[in-house]
Amino acid sequence: MIKVALTQSDGKIEWLRITGDFFLHPEDLIEEMERVLIGLPVEEGEISDSIEKLVGKRNGTLVGVAPADIARCIMMAGDLGG
Amino acid sequence: MALDEAIATARSKGKVPDTIRFFRWKPSAVSIGYFQGMEEEIDMAACRSMGVDYIRRITGGGAVYHDYDGELTYSILVDEANNLVPKDVLRSYDVLCSGLVIGLSLLGIPAEFKPINDIVVVGRKISGNAQTRRMGVVHQHGTILREVDPDVMYTLLKVPSEKIRDKLIKSAKERVTSISGYLGREVGFGELKAALKDGFERALNVRLVEGKTVEYEEELANQLRVKYASREWNFKR
Repeated sequence: MIKVALTQSDGKIEWLRITGDFFLHPEDLIEEMERVLIGLPVEEGEISDSIEKLVGKRNGTLVGVAPADIARCIMMAGDLGG
Repeated sequence: MALDEAIATARSKGKVPDTIRFFRWKPSAVSIGYFQGMEEEIDMAACRSMGVDYIRRITGGGAVYHDYDGELTYSILVDEANNLVPKDVLRSYDVLCSGLVIGLSLLGIPAEFKPINDIVVVGRKISGNAQTRRMGVVHQHGTILREVDPDVMYTLLKVPSEKIRDKLIKSAKERVTSISGYLGREVGFGELKAALKDGFERALNVRLVEGKTVEYEEELANQLRVKYASREWNFKR
């Protein structure tokens, strides 16, 4: 399960926290992922691409969850008026 | 947790051989995955009133209740260069879990590996496992349930509502089993450890030699205990 807490401003990600029972190697990549996503438009494709690019660049591995799943959760958090 | 990281560090510096360690949690504790939020997952007031610790793991995955009497925890710390362990994380779960699968089968339990990282008996979970790779060391740990009490577990974990708590408990009772639940008899910690040791030796075609932690590991573990007890670590997410 992925949980996302999000604040946005002018359609852009202002702050977010991704939590859940997934696996990401190396683990501290999550902090960098959150940093990279800040300032991006709340747009599913762009968020998913950014996550995929970062994980690839850092030679990381996501287990039990795909970049698109995280992106979808971020969108859902956005729709809830985060 | 601190000793695991100390052993991993010692292994990465070539100070100790590849290691398998079995241990119990005293007091009982709930561990959460690296990416989970402590306050989201754990009912800390319930933990305090029941004398149960809570701690963030170095590995991902979900919350686990480590009951002092009900479960055995193991940790494997292996040099990444060791050919026993596949480079691919998913395949390596299968390989490392096979020691547990064979160990349980030696006790008469028809355990099977279920991807990604579970071991099941007739479809019901008996062991959960998690892995990290740091400093060139593969570090996998997991839990083997001797006995299980979902009522206690869902008292310690936060749930959205009381109604859902009952459903989760009912569902856990159907999805999860334990050694005594399957066999109808108690298997002591000594017997369980011996079977798992045998299982790992057969599965990995290695001979395990009993050893003690070295001074370097002890000293480092003492330093790391401060980190694992800290608010900064446990509430970082």
